[in-house]
Amino acid sequence: MMSQVPAAGVDSIDLAPNHKAGLTIANPVMPAAGCFGLGTEYSQLVEVEMLGAVLVGPITARSRRGAEPPRTLSFPGGALLHTGLANRGATAIVRRYARAWDRSPVPVIVHVAGTTPDETASCCERLSAVDSVAGIELGLPDGLAHSPEPTDFLDDATAIIRAARATARQPLIVRLPLNWAGVLCESAVDAGADALTVAAPPRGSMWHEPSGGFVTGRLYGSFVLPLALRALCRVAELVRVPIIGCGGIHNTKDALAFLRADAVAIQVGGAIWRDPTCLARIARSLSSVVPPR
Amino acid sequence: MVQVDALVTSIEECGPFMRVTLAAPTLHPGLTPGRFVLADLGGYLRTPLFPAFLDTFGSDTAAFDVLVLPGHPLAILQPDDNVSLIGPLGHGFNPPTTAQRLLLVASSAHLGTLLPLTTQRPENSKSPGLSIALLLSAPTAADLYPVQLLPPTLEVHVVTADGSGGHRGSTLDIFPDLAHWADCICIAEDPAIYPRMAELVREVHVAPGRGFAQALVTPPMACGVGACQGCAVPVAHGTRLACTDGPVFDLLELR
Repeated sequence: MMSQVPAAGVDSIDLAPNHKAGLTIANPVMPAAGCFGLGTEYSQLVEVEMLGAVLVGPITARSRRGAEPPRTLSFPGGALLHTGLANRGATAIVRRYARAWDRSPVPVIVHVAGTTPDETASCCERLSAVDSVAGIELGLPDGLAHSPEPTDFLDDATAIIRAARATARQPLIVRLPLNWAGVLCESAVDAGADALTVAAPPRGSMWHEPSGGFVTGRLYGSFVLPLALRALCRVAELVRVPIIGCGGIHNTKDALAFLRADAVAIQVGGAIWRDPTCLARIARSLSSVVPPR
Repeated sequence: MVQVDALVTSIEECGPFMRVTLAAPTLHPGLTPGRFVLADLGGYLRTPLFPAFLDTFGSDTAAFDVLVLPGHPLAILQPDDNVSLIGPLGHGFNPPTTAQRLLLVASSAHLGTLLPLTTQRPENSKSPGLSIALLLSAPTAADLYPVQLLPPTLEVHVVTADGSGGHRGSTLDIFPDLAHWADCICIAEDPAIYPRMAELVREVHVAPGRGFAQALVTPPMACGVGACQGCAVPVAHGTRLACTDGPVFDLLELR
């Protein structure tokens, strides 16, 4: 049975206790990268002030046109999205959105899609100059998830994380690929991650009849929750940095499962699309209870 | 843009369609032809709905009607059910106020999107003598929206694939003559024929201006607000998002 002890909202959460600036949030709930745009799209539908932070992006140093359609396919219980990291590039995005981020009632964390060490460094360097960016979440390129050898993957991923750490002024959160979370978590922390997000949405493929081909992309849906929860439990055994739970969270009960597994905060992804109000609803619920450990 | 619970006030058969009336006072004012709402109908992603009739009970009651096929998840609802809607979303049809000859081209399945244009003058129209023609296509006559329910002033051209109603053949058979007549075209058809329609427009009009031919494109939309980047539509110089840049695009800019 859940204890009724006031938690978030009274006791703030520091996502980066080992970073000189820290990254304090007043509520453990935030949107997941890739689901919330650049921070302004949902402004009429979401009570942002109820959240712990907003997570915007992904962005890259240079603009990307993104994937050719189709980008979205739905299936019973979920959806597949393949956007190809479509974005205008860090400089254009900062120019357009920095003022809005500055006005945000909660910290803004920008998700940087780590493509190569050089581009990651360039992107983080650009964001370092933006005061309204409270933190950087680093995603790792999908291609790494297909590295033939784990050692290749670890080397490549670690190089990207080190590049981000070397250039980012803000706290650095590394979002781990679902299938590699346990393997990568210790290296990520050693390379400078202040916190970890577990995990990025898994990838899958679907047949698209009109185009006569397969579409491969990230998968969203409740079915991701047990996969991400298992990964988070494994990571929590291995590292001692704050962990943000992400994957298949659609309600307060789902969020509590991650908090019970030692996450200090949670990200809501595809559930936002169906019900943008779920973010504030979960945030309100979690502001009055903490799960028993 | 708001997220509201709309009330299903009636569901009636309308030829091969179900006409569903939704009362949503705070959402209704921004709904114009081609704009849409995203409805939570039980799937993982919301379903786009396009108003087929606005001001069903007069402007004070703020209801709108949607035409769907019987198998559509909206059609299994009952009066007094609630449906969560997000909207109004996107950019709709925008015939120029100076248009004199408006051509509407629709497959029967997409006709609902264009129906408001058959009864409403373009906003602030400066064309009291506006003529409107509808080119309506369907596989068979049984799939057609009841033509007798269309406004009597509307010039209707029917095409069926099997010849059971109107002209036997495809939309593209009749389209060139009507496109030549029109000074604005609004299209809600299968996007697969859009490239050919664009070619035909260029053939019959020397220099069609921007917005001369406007076409509806509705890929699956996850968020509806431009956040997920999932509803890209290929255009001449890249991609645009159906939910925020569209879902109505310049036909001649589509790839």
